[in-house]
Amino acid sequence: MPTKIALAGNPNSGKTTLFNALTGSNQYVGNWPGVTIEKKEGKLRSDTYKDITIVDLPGIYSLSPYTLEEVIARDYLITENPDAIINIVDGTNLERNLYLTTQLAELGIPMVVAVNMMDIVEKNGDRINLDKLSEKLGCPVIGISALRKAGITEAAEKAAELANKKVPMTPKHRFSDELEHAIESIEGLLGDRVEDKNKRWTAIKVFERDIKIMERLDLDDSLKERIENIIDGCETDMDDDSESIITNERYLYISSIIKDCYRRKSNKKMTTSDKIDRIVTNRWLALPIFALAMFAVYYLAVTTVGTWMTDWTNDVLFGEIIPPAMESFLDSIGTAPWLQSLILDGIIAGVGAVLGFIPQMLVLFLALALLEDCGYMARVAFIMDRIFRKFGLSGKSFIPMLIGTGCGVPGIMASRTIENERDRRMTIMVTTFIPCGAKLPVIALISGALFNGAWWVAPSAYFVGIAAIIFSGIILKKTRMFSGDPAPFVMELPPYHRPVAGNVLRSMWERGWSFIKKAGTIILLSTIVVWFASSFGIVDGRIVMVDDVNDGFLSKIGGAIAPVFAPLGWGQWQATVATITGLVAKENVVSTLGILYGFAEVAEDGFEIWGLLASSFTVLSAYSFLVFNLLCAPCFAAIGAIRREMNNTKWTLFAIGYQTLFAYAVSLSIYQLGMLFTGNGFGIGTAAAILIVALFLYLLMRPYRERPIEAASVQASM
Amino acid sequence: MPLIMARQGEERLIRKIGGKAELKKHLENLGFVVGGTVTVISEIGGNVIVNVKNSRIAISREMACRILV
Repeated sequence: MPTKIALAGNPNSGKTTLFNALTGSNQYVGNWPGVTIEKKEGKLRSDTYKDITIVDLPGIYSLSPYTLEEVIARDYLITENPDAIINIVDGTNLERNLYLTTQLAELGIPMVVAVNMMDIVEKNGDRINLDKLSEKLGCPVIGISALRKAGITEAAEKAAELANKKVPMTPKHRFSDELEHAIESIEGLLGDRVEDKNKRWTAIKVFERDIKIMERLDLDDSLKERIENIIDGCETDMDDDSESIITNERYLYISSIIKDCYRRKSNKKMTTSDKIDRIVTNRWLALPIFALAMFAVYYLAVTTVGTWMTDWTNDVLFGEIIPPAMESFLDSIGTAPWLQSLILDGIIAGVGAVLGFIPQMLVLFLALALLEDCGYMARVAFIMDRIFRKFGLSGKSFIPMLIGTGCGVPGIMASRTIENERDRRMTIMVTTFIPCGAKLPVIALISGALFNGAWWVAPSAYFVGIAAIIFSGIILKKTRMFSGDPAPFVMELPPYHRPVAGNVLRSMWERGWSFIKKAGTIILLSTIVVWFASSFGIVDGRIVMVDDVNDGFLSKIGGAIAPVFAPLGWGQWQATVATITGLVAKENVVSTLGILYGFAEVAEDGFEIWGLLASSFTVLSAYSFLVFNLLCAPCFAAIGAIRREMNNTKWTLFAIGYQTLFAYAVSLSIYQLGMLFTGNGFGIGTAAAILIVALFLYLLMRPYRERPIEAASVQASM
Repeated sequence: MPLIMARQGEERLIRKIGGKAELKKHLENLGFVVGGTVTVISEIGGNVIVNVKNSRIAISREMACRILV
């Protein structure tokens, strides 16, 4: 069996950076707490030690978990018994980080403390006496810089050595006499129910009345009572609750260590991060700065830089260069006409339509990665909290949504950092309203083909997403299932730093690559299916290849469903089919339209690819089409993620159903009311739209009932 | 007085932490301990960013009301 070494430490202390450096992996690193939400394993690259697995864990502040991903880390450390722990400590924040160290030390697992970011500590002019720290903690302490790959092999090999020798960690620290006495008595009562090396830790957890540990121990009642007496006695003596007693004792002990091992260059001045925060989170400037940042990102990605590149790919590469070249090549080798049609009208028209948007996605991902890596995105969660709270979500819901701008699947998974289950469910339900990378081509297509690339269309898609989240928040909060205040927002903010080129590019590439891969697999497959279904049909009772897509199978199928969408303004079968294939992957909306409308045109001049598309939509119906596709049920992959995170079929169906209905209602209102205002008369659709708007208003305005009286009065008094 | 009333940039001593046991524990794990110091860096609609034990923590108004300094 391989030796397992776990990386444990505070959130954002650099565990994943170290993991990547040790194992040569390419895990995603971000500058905010909670980037890693699952444990990941990799092989240590070392000449001396073979067969060593490094386990990267989500960050934890303590072994008493608060959020779901903290539970994952703690359970791993306690139940899976890794052979050694490398405890990563952020050297620029020694005091708080050592708090976890004191707890890990009690687990009895061989441990090495790696003090990370030593380069920054030195740059700040601070001093950490590592030898002294090692002496005080009772375990090897090694200074490292995970980013610069300094000292990391030494730390890993030291841990491997300890693991092989199986030297259990014995904590050196002692609490105050009263507390030590109580813990010893509990240890005595536990007797041989617990292994020796775990005894102290278990006794401390019992003292803290940790429910999970008590359950696992399954003590009989008389023993429980005797333990309770000891705890009670100690609480009365020390005038605090047992958990706080332990916490305070830990911090007291840490200050005693710090005093001897850590010298801060005495500067009471504000740090650069504090200064930036003064401006960026200023009460007047915060929101305008955020809106400006988001606008700039979308403007850059969709309207300007991204579009120049995408236009070139679409019009020149997939318009003038590849199709004619491919055509003459296929002609020269004498390919059958149907195969030629499959390749040109199916695959190139479909996959090409999607690939053309990759440059835009890359620009978007690059911009977001920059904002993330410098530390700004964590602030946005804070800024948005006040607003999100008004409609029942917490600022923490923003992070899943932010990640969701890349792809909904990791976005939905990121909801794990939300403590409160109600808040988490609601976040999962609304996260996919934010346009993900795959929806970007849809947005770009509509804005390019129908709005002549108007500057406001792309950012408006983003704001439609936010508005959908806000409305849904308010509406859902007023239902019985979601009532109750969101958990108070508490989140550590990372220090600002200059974006690291490697991190930013990796983040951009990783997200972009998954789209390119999708284009080559699932979308390629879908385009082939769509091409077959659209170019074959039944004529005179026989299945034949048809000249006009309107005679194809797909046209018949789509035509049967299309009336459902007619009230939204796009009852053409092509749009219906595109929406349905969008469930497989949202880029399919574009590739399908590419096949169904690009058909005749690509071969002719290749320039005005989307001319046919433009002629079959009006501005209004196009916007309604866009909104529906942005808000309706996400792709299957994201639905799967919803299912996993909800862990409940009913909730999953509810989420999907809600999203689709919501999308339908919004699109219907946009189209019908738009028609009314542009002077197209009053019809049944208009009446329906007005009813829907009235219903919306009712759901928004109706009083909030379920709030418990106590909570309400607290709110009022504040 | 509650933390939200503390002036920006002023270092203050934490006197009491209220709220649900679970959340209190979380705050303690993050470095909010009675007797420790806290400095408000920035405030927006009652939500504050504070410096505790050299790290920056954002907390919402509901919570900031329950930390007495």
